Parts: sequence; structure tokens; C-alpha cells
Amino acid sequence: MRVPSTVSITETLNAPVGLAAVEHLRAVFGDRILHEQRTCDEIPTLWFARESIQQALTLIREQTFAGQRFEMLLDLTAIDERVRVNRAGQPASEFTVVYHLMSFSGNADLRLKVPLFDDDLHLPTATVLWPNANWYEREVWDMFGIRFDGHPNLYRLVLPPTWEGHALRKEHPARATEMEPFTLDDAQTDIEQEALKFKPEEWGMKRASKDSEFMFLNLGPNHPSVHGAFRIAVQLDGEILVDAVPDIGYHHRGAEKMGERQSWHTFIPYTDRIDYLGGVMNNLPYVMAVEKMAGIEVPERVKVIRVMLSEMFRICSHLLFYGTFAQDVGQLSPIFYMFVERERIFNIIESICGARMHPGWFRIGGVAQDLPQGWEVRIRELLDFMPARLDEYDSMVLNNGILKRRTQGVGAYTTQDAFDWGVTGAGLRATGYEWDMRKQRPYSGYENFEFDIPIAANGDCYDRCAVRVEEMRQSLRIIKQCVDNMPSGDYKSSHPLTTPPRKEKTMQDIETLINHFLSVSWGPVIPPNEVSMSIEATKGINSYYLISDGNTTSYRTRIRTPSFAHLQMIPAISRGFMVSDLIAIIASIDFVMADVDR
Amino acid sequence: MNWSLESAETAAAPQRGGSEMDEFIRRNVMMVKLEDMVAWGRKNSIWPFNFGLSCCYVEMATAFTSRHDLARFGAEVIRGTPRQADMIVIAGTVFRKMAPVVKQLYDQLLEPKWVISMGSCANSGGMYDIYSVVQGVDKFLPVDVYVSGCPPRPEALLQGLLLLQESIGNQRRPLSWVINEQGIIQREENEVQRVIRGPERIAATELRSPDEV
Repeated sequence: MRVPSTVSITETLNAPVGLAAVEHLRAVFGDRILHEQRTCDEIPTLWFARESIQQALTLIREQTFAGQRFEMLLDLTAIDERVRVNRAGQPASEFTVVYHLMSFSGNADLRLKVPLFDDDLHLPTATVLWPNANWYEREVWDMFGIRFDGHPNLYRLVLPPTWEGHALRKEHPARATEMEPFTLDDAQTDIEQEALKFKPEEWGMKRASKDSEFMFLNLGPNHPSVHGAFRIAVQLDGEILVDAVPDIGYHHRGAEKMGERQSWHTFIPYTDRIDYLGGVMNNLPYVMAVEKMAGIEVPERVKVIRVMLSEMFRICSHLLFYGTFAQDVGQLSPIFYMFVERERIFNIIESICGARMHPGWFRIGGVAQDLPQGWEVRIRELLDFMPARLDEYDSMVLNNGILKRRTQGVGAYTTQDAFDWGVTGAGLRATGYEWDMRKQRPYSGYENFEFDIPIAANGDCYDRCAVRVEEMRQSLRIIKQCVDNMPSGDYKSSHPLTTPPRKEKTMQDIETLINHFLSVSWGPVIPPNEVSMSIEATKGINSYYLISDGNTTSYRTRIRTPSFAHLQMIPAISRGFMVSDLIAIIASIDFVMADVDR
Repeated sequence: MNWSLESAETAAAPQRGGSEMDEFIRRNVMMVKLEDMVAWGRKNSIWPFNFGLSCCYVEMATAFTSRHDLARFGAEVIRGTPRQADMIVIAGTVFRKMAPVVKQLYDQLLEPKWVISMGSCANSGGMYDIYSVVQGVDKFLPVDVYVSGCPPRPEALLQGLLLLQESIGNQRRPLSWVINEQGIIQREENEVQRVIRGPERIAATELRSPDEV
């Protein structure tokens, strides 16, 4: 099933900032820009050699373009290019390192690529420019074996320290059943436990200062307050936190490797489980990215259904955050109230999608089925019921004096810190910076809705909670507009790459039969291209960077998750506080470990 | 061990011919074998260890909250330390990096201890046949009850818990440690639920249409 590419690769770049940056880089580097790649997301993509990448990154970090800056290193990852077929025009490369930079003030993106070869896998670190490059580079080392010269502690981040090989290289086995059967005898347990032991010296930490001996406290990987399989090694001087080292990778499900194995269609359920509180909202950036490569335009009804369900999951996720946040600072009862609403929303979601947490209900080119008859009744009940309950929770939680004293002024950071550490979502808005993908780069028809972007001023734990509470009210507003104005029409596009195809296009004659058979057995073939698609997920910017090599599976699936960036910031914002404040800080970040380790 | 509660108003009148003392004893004294009593107590106070790995833990937590209320079955007392818990629910994916930690936590539970494997990942690896995931927690732990689903609904966990309670209630463990071979509890092979419930499920003919709420 070959379908001609309908993607129009336009000459226009997405914003004046991007254009100015590219022109400036052209003027400075000239021939040293190896190639200017065109991708269907229209993000300017420039190739630099290893020798000039640091200079280019420094220039982008320090210069302004059309009066604006590229504030954030949104993502840093790599591609194993060795078996890729369709890379016409791109410089020769076996492993390509990709930098995704984002300008918030100018609302633009820029992508830089560096070609490397297997016998010489190293390039200069970017940690001196962006502090959040630290974990991204460690992840690339862990997954691809690419070294970053000058990195302060290039250890494995995600896989166990005893692991052999680099998982995202094409020669590494994907399936557990392809590898040696897993066993865990006592001797092996001891070896693994010894490897997980925290050694302060490796992190440049001293065991004692001039006048006191430090205490090292291990929090996790199973601890009620770390919200999943997450571990922090804490260095204490008395009760005061001197430093903290987050240790992740206890929740790595290999979702990116899975993307190279599942067909475009059958990867959808795996996206649900990335941010497992976000449900179908996780499907959205993925299916939109695939649709962009396939050139599918979805009907209006599909867009509104998608928005409605995504916003319901946003409320669900925020309610769980709200309850656990109150619980972690000592209020045990609110969560029991809040789960009542969660159950109500799950009832609605179940009546529409047939499942509670992970419906996997969006499809390439539409949704799985049309809304059932009478779908709006329960939603209207919820819209009537919930605002009063949210007001009640305000008086129970947000106006509670103890909670205020525990969280106000704790774990505060500025907008600049947020940019430096790659913080997006409510964590960024709590610092007073009004940025929301739904407003700034509307997708799936968000431009047609009326809603406000709540912000706060202090960027502390309390503000992060207050912003999310207000976001729930805005989500209710959006859902109300969806119910009132649900367009009629199809729940699936009529594009031939829509998967599975519409029923009336399946059983008519031999052509439609074959088309349907291939589409559900092999899955659709997506034309070769690259695309990056970002949405405002429950926790911040969630972005899928997909590379199609003209096959039934993705060549490379990169999932940029907000929680990964947010966790890296914990040491920077918790130094000088006490252990109990650390718990409040962790609770206020609102992460799930599946969203960190993927 | 049979017993029931009755309210004073509706309780049956004292039987003719019996003395008042007999009736008093019937109502207030329970004759029982000690091992039955212990099995009954164990069955109705399974304290779970506060342990979660991934998505399933959210549904497990939902089972504790108001709608489902695990407290009805005496299993809501979550313990933060394995030393005080009777049961561990492996709620979520068992990762290669996490496996030694899970093993250590299981070893720290005091006997008698039980394991519920919750969700497809813990049961068999589920949809994650991938390098970093152990293909089922039973690769290194003995499992008493498997709860299916991805993630299982809270009701499914409740059913799993009731099955575990039933099996604990039928077990007669020695009251203290014994040196001979009788001290080893041989777990009975339970009949698979699929077989037990199969006929009832197959008998269902009227299924709800997905086109209606």
C-alpha cells in the first residue's frame, strides 16, 4: 500500500525568530553548516560538524534573534542511522545527535543535528550552556553509547549500572524473550544491590565538612512520598539539606524501543501508559504527529471529541495531584473526597471509551468509534456538580493555614530557572510566565475555545498547586463548550491512511478488501519524513519526535516528557530546606515515573 | 467457624425448655478450635504493604478510597514497612532495575506472607515484552493470586483479595514453628477461575451495546 506523500514542504519557517536565527547562523558559519534539512513540521533543521557544534550552541544561547532568545533546550537525543534507507541529502552519519531548542518569547523552534560515526562516538557537552543537558546527555550515553566530553558525571541514568550494551542501538535486542531468561538468585541480588548502593564520592560529595559530619539518607525507590519507583539520595547537615541526587530508571519500560517494533497503529496503547494519569491525552501528540506525516486532516467532530476527553483526563490527573499534594503535607482526608469526582469522570470516560485509565481510544485519522447516544447527560451532571466541590476544596486545602505555612516560600524558582531546567506546564506558569501550548500554538482546534491561562507569581509549592486548581476550572469551561457545540460529522477521516479504515470503505470490492486487510495486518505505511509534535499535557510539554523510513513501523520514536525535566531540578530547588520541605517540593512537582523513565 | 451478629430487637426468643443460662451462653460464648480461630483472624485482617510500581498502583489506591472502600474487608491498614505487613500487592510492571529491590522487600515481610500479582505486567510482563521488564513477578516470587487487567479495575482487586481471604481461611497453619516436615505448608492447587466461571460467562447472551451510555 503505497500512498503518494501529500505533505507540502514549504519554504516558510515557523516564526521570524527562527528565520533570523537561521540567517545569522548562515552568516557566521557559511559552509560549515553541513546541510539544511526540511522536515514536515517546518522546524529549521541545521547540520553541524562536531567541531563547530559548541560554537553554534553558544551563539544561540547568548545571542538574540529578532529581539528574542532561544531560552530552552527542550530536548536532546540521538538517532541510530545505520540501517535507515531514506535519508536523501542528509550528511553521512551513523549516529546523529539532535538538539531541539525552543524560543518561548518568539514562539519558535530550532533543531540542530551532529553526525557521528560508530568508531568515534563523542562530542562536546552542552551542560556548560544549559544545566538540563546533564540528564539528557547521560540518557544518550546510556542508550546509544555516545560520550559527551566534559560532562561532570557521565554515568548510566536509566538502565541498571550492571547493564551491558546500549538499548536503543539497533543491534540491541528489543524483546525480553530474545534475551537470556531472567533469574534472580541470592548472589545476583547481592551484586545488583551493591551496584545500586549510593557512593557519595562518585558524585563529588564530601562525607564531612569542617565542623560536622554529613548524614546520607536514602529515600526510595519504594517510599510512600516519592510517588512511584523513584529514589533520592539526600545529603544532610543536621536537618538541613545540603544536596540531593535523584536516581531514576526504576520505571523504564523501553517505550521508545517499543515504538520501533510496533506498527504505527499498535503503538497507540503504549502512549497511554507514558503519563499514566493522562490517559488518551497521551495519544494526542502521537496521532497528530503521524497524521502530519501522512497528510491526514481530521474532521471537526474528531477535534472536539479529542479536546473534550483530553480535558477530562487533565481534571482527573490534577485531582489526583491535588489530593496527594495535600496528603503529603499532612492532610489525609481531601484525597478521599477528590476520588469521588475522579470516579465520576471515569464513569463518563468508561461510557464513551470502554475503559478507565488507559482507553487508547484515539486513532490515526480519528477516534475509535462515535460518541454513544446520551453521552452528554453525565457530562452535564458533572459540570453542574463539580464547581461547588472545587470551591469546597479551596476552603479545605488551599485556604488551610498549615498547608500554607508548609508550602509558601518553599521550593521557589524564577522564570529564568524554569527555562534553564526545561520546566514547562504549571511549574512554569506558577513563576508568572504565561505560556500554554493550547494558546500559543493551538492544536486540535483549541483556538476556537474560550479559556484563560492561570498564572501565579512566586513559583513556590503553593503556587504550583493553586495554578493547577484554577486549570481544572478552565478545563470545565472547555468541556462545557465542547458539549454545547459538538459538531456533527464523521468520527474518522476518509484519508486512505486512516487506521483502521472506515467501515464503508472496507467490504465493497477486492480493492477495498485488500486495502483493509493490509491496513489491519501490516498496518499503514507512513511516507518517509520527520516530525515533532508538542502538546500541553497534564504536566507540561509532551512532545513526540517521530522518524518514518517509509515503513509500517517508526524508525525512531523519541518521547520528550515534562516529568523527566522537572525531576532533574529537585536538587537545585531543595538545597537549604529540611527533609519535610523536600516532601512538599516533590509533591508539588506532579510527576509520574512512567513519564520520567518511559 | 460459624457465627453471626443479631440485633437485640429482632433476635429469636429464648427457646422453650432451655434455661436462661443456656441461652446466655449460646449468645455470648463461641466454641471453636484454636487453629480455626487463628485462620479466621488472619483471613479478615490482611494488612497490605504500601508498595506500588506503576499504573496499577493508582487503581489499587482507588480501591482504598470511598467508592470501593477496601476497609470493608479488613485490608485497608496500609503499612509503610514490610515488617508490619502481611501481604504485598505487586501493583505494576516489575522492572529489571527494580527486581532486586522487590525481592528484598518480599524477604523482609514476616511469615505468614502472601503475594497478589496485580495486572498483566506483574502476571506475565503483559504488553511489555521488552528488555527492561521481568516477564512476570513469579520469575522470582511465589504468587498466591493473579488479578488480570491492564490495569485491573478496583473491583477486580477486591475480587482477588476475597479469593485470597478464602484460601487463607481454609489454611490450617501450625500455631508455632515445628521441626518436622509437617511444618511446611503445601499450597493446594486452586481451580482456575476461568474454568469455574466459564459456564456462567458463556451463558450471558444479552450484552450491552457500546452505542448507548
